[in-house]
Amino acid sequence: MADLTMSAAKMVTKLEAEDLRDPAYLKIRDAIYQISGIYQPEEKLYLLASRCARRMMAVNAKTPSDYLEYLTVRGNRDVELRALLNEITIGETYMFRSPAQIEAMRSVILPQLVQAKSAIGFKRLRLWSAGCSTGEEPYTLAMFLLEESAKLLAGWTFDILATDLNDNSLATAKAGIYGEYALRSTTAVLRKKYFKSYDEKRLQVTDQLKSIVRFDRVNLSDDSKMTFLKGLDVIFCCNVLIYFDLSSKRRVTQHFYSNLLPGGHLFLGHAESLFQVDDRFRLVHFPGAIGYLKPPITGGKS
Amino acid sequence: MNTLEAIRPKIKQLEDMPTIPTIVQPLAAMLQLPVEQVDIEKVVELVSYDSTIAAQCLRMSNSPLFGRRKTETVRSAILALGLKRVEAILLGCCLNRIVPSGKWAFDAVTFWRHSLGCALVSRKMATMIGYPDPEKAYLAGLVHDLGILVNTITCTEQYRKCIQTAREERVALHRVEEKVLGFTHCQTGRILGEQWKFSPDVLAVVEAHHDPEAAAEASALVSLVHLSDLLCRLRDLGYGYYEVMGIDLAGDGAWSALVKNFPALGNMDLARLTMDIDGAMDEIAATVEAVFQPQST
Repeated sequence: MADLTMSAAKMVTKLEAEDLRDPAYLKIRDAIYQISGIYQPEEKLYLLASRCARRMMAVNAKTPSDYLEYLTVRGNRDVELRALLNEITIGETYMFRSPAQIEAMRSVILPQLVQAKSAIGFKRLRLWSAGCSTGEEPYTLAMFLLEESAKLLAGWTFDILATDLNDNSLATAKAGIYGEYALRSTTAVLRKKYFKSYDEKRLQVTDQLKSIVRFDRVNLSDDSKMTFLKGLDVIFCCNVLIYFDLSSKRRVTQHFYSNLLPGGHLFLGHAESLFQVDDRFRLVHFPGAIGYLKPPITGGKS
Repeated sequence: MNTLEAIRPKIKQLEDMPTIPTIVQPLAAMLQLPVEQVDIEKVVELVSYDSTIAAQCLRMSNSPLFGRRKTETVRSAILALGLKRVEAILLGCCLNRIVPSGKWAFDAVTFWRHSLGCALVSRKMATMIGYPDPEKAYLAGLVHDLGILVNTITCTEQYRKCIQTAREERVALHRVEEKVLGFTHCQTGRILGEQWKFSPDVLAVVEAHHDPEAAAEASALVSLVHLSDLLCRLRDLGYGYYEVMGIDLAGDGAWSALVKNFPALGNMDLARLTMDIDGAMDEIAATVEAVFQPQST
């Protein structure tokens, strides 16, 4: 009897392990990468499998290969892909979510910008949070810049443009009221400095923090509006392009390229890649982060 | 102050260290043969003589990073790993055993994480760009910093200072070595590598991985390992600090040199490779714990 129970238990673990080894997951991974640019390394495939499991249940797909069909062959595949991408990026937004990007800003990009722009006497900095959702990202950048204003950015003016397509998200962002989840990575020092208490469980951003963020509704596919945005130093566009098809993606990144000043950087979400989307940007490695550089004009390099 | 000539005799001594397992010579000789001439049963027999190497073969073949299959005998482990990886394990073990405990100028696990990371990235990149011998790239990546072991053994105290300075000032180790020791791990690594009869291409990697344009031969392999080394140092697989803070790999001279012979490099998905490295980080750490952890004796 004991033996029987044991072998049953063994079978279950074996099934689960076998399931994860289903080559369909690799195909799903590759399909997602091709369509959205979101990549899951093989070692993190279990994460993908668990996100798929929820969607498989919802659409009643029996096996990963069945589900692959929902994503690639069936009529409403676009809707399903969007639903899966929502699962994958769910709960991703909170302040200081990408410390490696902020560190790259602090230790490499900002010193470079300050040096280059001081040389021409133009002490102004513009960042853009494109697809700012409920505001966590632009406020993070605002805190970062304000912290630097006493050091590297002394005597500089700076502002952050924060745009989204969704009016509800923008309204939430403008109100700037956040609970514990959004603030989980925000230190006590920063909370004290840049937030005031709102109610028992929530904090609200201070007017000082709000004052350097300008919210606006922008559709990244709106060419006429996109061409007007100029003179940006750094663009953050995290988990937004994943919802675009390749040709729209190309159009948006082309805009980003002309929105940026030479020497400016573009940051995407941590699992996103611009591979084969736009080859004018140069991929730059920072400790733990990847950025895309619009090459500066100086120097003889092509 | 030490000079390279002064420590040459010390490096010579390393060759005769008693800790090098006796199976190494016959096993290494066997693994040098063309694949069709290798007697697998003989390899199994030799590996089985050395419990440490046998155990490490088993551990590594059971690591998800390599085989993804359950192996319970030395024989099946060797088959799952392939001869080239057995050779790499053998080398890893030998390198590990030449450093007497207490002689490490810094954390051994950090050293092996960097070496194994660089080996894996070199092999992966080799495969992606169509370099004909990915396992050679693995081996070259694994031993590229051999000279760091030489320095840690032959001038332990001074080397501790080197590493501390490099960390504090956030500069590359070989720059500090030049100033403090008067020679670099590239030079000392080459001397030991010659004594150990490394092949000329691997010797070139050991000597020129910080200056690939100076490589007299195997410039593709040297460039490949140079780029992998850089990438590792930006992915938390360096020596415990970041001395390179931001880099355009495709703008590196080694990249331009390599892309001439391997045009696939120009189309390589570097972002994806980087995410694969990030994804493999836990595995690398676990494998180092399992396979390369320094012996307590």
